[in-house]
Formats: sequence, structure tokens, C-alpha cells
Amino acid sequence: MVRVSTASTRFAAAWLASFTLVVSPWATADETCNSPYIGNLIKGQEDYVYVWTLGIKSLGDGSDKLVTIDANPTSKTYGKVTHKVSVGRRGEAHHMGLTDDRRFLWAGGLDDSKIYVFDISKDPAKPRLVKTISDLPAKTGYVGPHTFYALPGRVLVQGLSNSKDDGGVTGMALYNNQGGLVATYPMPTEGGGDGYGYDIAVNPQKNVLLTSSFTGRKNYMMNFGKLVKDAEAMKHFGSTMVLWDLKAMKPTKIFSVPGAPLEIRWSLNPGDNWAVTAAALSSKLWLIKQDAKGDWQAQAVADIGDPSKVPLPVDISISADGKGLWVNTFMDGKTHYLDLSNPEKPVQTYEKVTGKQVNMISQSWDGKRVYIASSLLANWDKTGADGEQFVRAFNWDGKELALAFEVDFINEKLGRAHHMKLGSKALKMAFDDGPGRSPLANR
Amino acid sequence: MKAGFVVLAGLLFAPSGAQAKDVAKGDELGFVPPAPGTYVLQHILRSPEGTVIDVDNKPRRLSQFTTGKITLLSLIYASCSDGRGCPLASHLLRQLRGWIDKNEKLHARLRFVTLSFDPDNDTPEVMRAYADGYLSDGNGPPWHFLTTRSRREILPVLRGFGQDVWIATSGSSEQAGKLPHLLKAFLIDRYGWIREIYTTSFFQPEVVLNDMNTLLLEEER
Repeated sequence: MVRVSTASTRFAAAWLASFTLVVSPWATADETCNSPYIGNLIKGQEDYVYVWTLGIKSLGDGSDKLVTIDANPTSKTYGKVTHKVSVGRRGEAHHMGLTDDRRFLWAGGLDDSKIYVFDISKDPAKPRLVKTISDLPAKTGYVGPHTFYALPGRVLVQGLSNSKDDGGVTGMALYNNQGGLVATYPMPTEGGGDGYGYDIAVNPQKNVLLTSSFTGRKNYMMNFGKLVKDAEAMKHFGSTMVLWDLKAMKPTKIFSVPGAPLEIRWSLNPGDNWAVTAAALSSKLWLIKQDAKGDWQAQAVADIGDPSKVPLPVDISISADGKGLWVNTFMDGKTHYLDLSNPEKPVQTYEKVTGKQVNMISQSWDGKRVYIASSLLANWDKTGADGEQFVRAFNWDGKELALAFEVDFINEKLGRAHHMKLGSKALKMAFDDGPGRSPLANR
Repeated sequence: MKAGFVVLAGLLFAPSGAQAKDVAKGDELGFVPPAPGTYVLQHILRSPEGTVIDVDNKPRRLSQFTTGKITLLSLIYASCSDGRGCPLASHLLRQLRGWIDKNEKLHARLRFVTLSFDPDNDTPEVMRAYADGYLSDGNGPPWHFLTTRSRREILPVLRGFGQDVWIATSGSSEQAGKLPHLLKAFLIDRYGWIREIYTTSFFQPEVVLNDMNTLLLEEER
């Protein structure tokens, strides 16, 4: 223990008085769809788009791979593929997520249930595969690792299915950032719960976690044309969302949200207490919001496109101010913009056909750049001339999406372009004692 | 719940005046946190071992400060001026320590640790001066201020905690020499297991206090 200096205490007290005690978590949110626990923001121009890509048999090496695209307009290689890391197998590459310290990118295979960990901090231009976790099914009974959501020092992984019957009953697995399994949390099957899982999104200021629900491995690995004709299979899609006590990791309320509610986005506007999700099969946008009593409620607030034509809304991306929402509809290849100024009455203000099939959509923090990728699932993607595979970058001026560049993933012999994350060369690890030492390490 | 648990909870949740109101109702949180002992804090990671030095320039094993008691440890550097970083962490530790100041029975079961990750500048003398700014408010549980002799010593500790430290490779000259990092503090049980990790958006003193109490209740079982 050390002695006390009154003078220095007064100084420290005055200094600290200028700081806010509890800082809004949304001030530290990353590119809008990421966990609010992720630090080291990219609020300016991103340098890279990392694309988790499904391999296609007889195309290139046929394996799943992490593709790096140069996204900085001032670069000589702007819009070009500058790096790729193959994982040497094809396992239905799907989603990925950053760790809270933004050093690592976790990426999953829905078919083989492998989890790949890429280091993006030592050289953000050249991600390296540093770890493969292969025992998720053996240790947890869950298969199909879908969402990778950063918690402090941990990654919460949402499964889509289970190893017993490949159905939709599943759970979440909590890992530490080093890749060690910490805990499992089954999705609720009682009190209205269907046990299904899909996306994860937290609001730490409300101590809540929201989950959504999709379908099991039997369905997501089935040929899409065959699936939609299989009346029994079509009964096995999620129709719930679950509100969890984040600290206790216990479900507290189950909402009926028919039609496979998928991606969840909390409004990032400080003070807002609502999230939205799109139900794929019913083409409805749902709002999950606290009522006047503080109770959480879910309600359908808008159609996306024409539900009678089953446009299949897939990924969504909310603006940093919570006032707007991008929605991709897979079947008609449209990208929609909805005005969320009144989240209880969203209004579509823009739409554009951005591809023959479109799935994932990501926007920069300032909303000026929008990235779109084509693939949904290997067996659900369109075929023939409609089966194009790409990443397209657009500039958005508030009125029109203008194509900035395009990477054709078939011509480049890469595969099916799926989930995207943004990267920056502006941040590197300090104290790096390995190859390519940081400036600080030489100090 | 055993009667002893209630007494223990009463000790922790009986800080003076308005503080007690805040803790009990979660008034400043926007939600009512789950009660201590009603949830499980997972065993996230083992706290790393390493060599540190105290403000008297004496070498110590880090495990001396991360086992045997429930420990709240934050990693900082003394010259940090980021209002959401080190100063906030140290302020919140002081606030928490103040809340349990009157409960002398708990002093033997809790400790606070502030460990610098800037050995180039944060000498024992600097850490002593830094500590002076935070130790004026009562006695409270022990609060240790530690540093290391070199980067070679701090590196494995940082890796072990998973504490990121970043440097901007571009930007203004004002940023030169800064060590931006995501604020992290670690709640460690008496066996050296990290049971909770707090970052800016999760560093809510009321919740941290509940977590400490949850570990105390766990020890009673």
C-alpha cells in the first residue's frame, strides 16, 4: 500500500470530474452491425473488405477461403483481390465475427461445423489462419456455427442445428478469445420456445440479448427447389425470438415472430430502446421495443417488397444514427432502403436491383459506402445465368447507389461470396515482438 | 440461501447514503441487474503468471496479487488521457472501493490491483505518484499499484489477459506515443480464475459490485 497525497488527490478529482462516469456503449460501436463491445473503430475510410467465401467444386482450389479486397479508393489496387487464405476444404462457409479487441476474425462452416480463427492484427492486409476449432459438435452437441458475437474477452457462437437429428433445436456456445470452450446455453424449448437459433445481438445498456431463429441442417443443406416443395420440411423453420438477461444468460421472454426471423440490429442512436429484424418467409419487418411500462414487445411494422411474391428478405444493415435500414431481398435481387425515423412505421424510400441474387449487405460507419455480396447457401443459390457470384461496392449519396467496383468471384475462381467484414491498416498491435515489429516495440 | 449469505449481501449492499439507493435499485443503469447469487460467473480464463514490481521497487510474482482473495484488476498506463480508458477504470475502482470502505470484514476478502503496461515510463516512482491520486478516500480493501521492469516482462502478462494495446500507424503527431487500448478490467476469484471481464460498455459499478458479491456468496457455499 502507498501513502496519500492530498494535493495530487485534488488534482485527480478535478481531472476526473470532466469525464462521464458511464459512457454510452454505442459510442464504441463499430461498423453498425457489429457487437458494441468491439473497439478500435473504423469511422473513416476502410482499407479492406474481408469476404468469407464458399468453395465451388472444380473452381480454383474448390475450398472455402477468406478473401481480402482492397477497398481504399486511393490505393493502386483498389477494387482488386489482394490476398486469399484457403482453409483447404469445403464446409459451407457462412458468417464470421470479430473479437472484441479486433485482433481476430472467427469464421464458421455450417456443414462441417468447423470454426476458423484468422489473425488480422499483425498484418491487416494479409490475414493468417492461426487456429481451427473442430470439436464444437463433440463438446456441445450443436452444429452449424452461425453467428460469432464479441463479448468482453469472449466470443458467443450461435449454432443452427444439433448433432442428434440435424433439426433446428440448438444452442449457443461461449468461448474465450483463446478458443477455449467456457459454457453452453441451450435455446429454450418451453414456454413457447421452439429451440431454434440464428442471430445474436446485445444491448448492454438494457442488459438484454436478443436471438432469432432459422432452421436445422437438414433444411439448410437441402436443395432449395426440393425444400420448398417439401411441405413437411417447410414446417421446420423458426418462428420465435428470445429476450435474454445478458448478465445471467437466462431467457426472460419469448416472442412469436413467424417466418424465420433472421438478422437483428439494435438502433445505435443513444437512448433508443429498440431493435429490428426481418422475417424471411413472411417478408415482414419486426420491431422489438420497450413499451411505456418498460416491458419488451414485438410487432410487425412493415412489409418488405411484396410478400405475396416471397422476395425473401435476408441481410439488413442499420445506419449509425438508427434512421435508416438497408434490406436485401434474395429472390428479386433488390436492395431496399427504409426510412426508420419512426421505427413503428418504416417507409421504403428507395430500391434498386443490385444483382440477380443478393444476400449480405454492409455499410461503412458514415453510411457513404455499401457493400453487397451474392451468396445465400450453396444449395439455395440460383443456378445458370442467374447464379452470378460477386462483391459489389456502391457509393451512397442519400439518393442513389452508384457502383464503385465489382469483383466477379467466378472469373476470379474464388467461389460464392458470402459474409463481409471491414478492415483497416491504420491500427496494428503495439508491443509486437514477432516479425514485422511495430514502431513501439523498437522504442 | 443460507443465513450467512444474507448477512454477507447486507454487508456489501449497505454503503452510505445515496450510494446504497443506486446499488439496490440500479437507478443509474436503466435496468435492474440480477441479484447476486442468482447467476453464474463462468470460468473464463486462468489469470496469467508473471513478474511485477511494486511501488517500493520490489519484485513480486503476479499470482501474489491474483490469488487468495477476490481481485479486481485493471491494466492501465499512467499518462493515458483517454477519458474512456485508464482514468475511467481507476476512477471506477476508487468508487467501488469507497462503497465497501466501511465493511472492514470484507477488506480481507477483496483487493484491487492496477497494473501498468508501459514499463518504459511507469517506473515504481511514477506508479506511487499515480496511486496517490486514488488512495485518499478512506481505507477500503487493499489497492496495489504495480508495474514491470521491461516489455519482456509485461508482454506475456498482456497476452495472458488478452489485453490489446494498439498503436496508430498513421495520424497526427499528437497521437504519437499514445497506447490506445480497449478498457478492460478483470474480476478474478481467489483461485486465480478470471470470472468476468469489463470493457467500457460493461463497466457499470453496480454490476461489478453484484459480481463481487456473487463470488463471495459462491465461496460460502
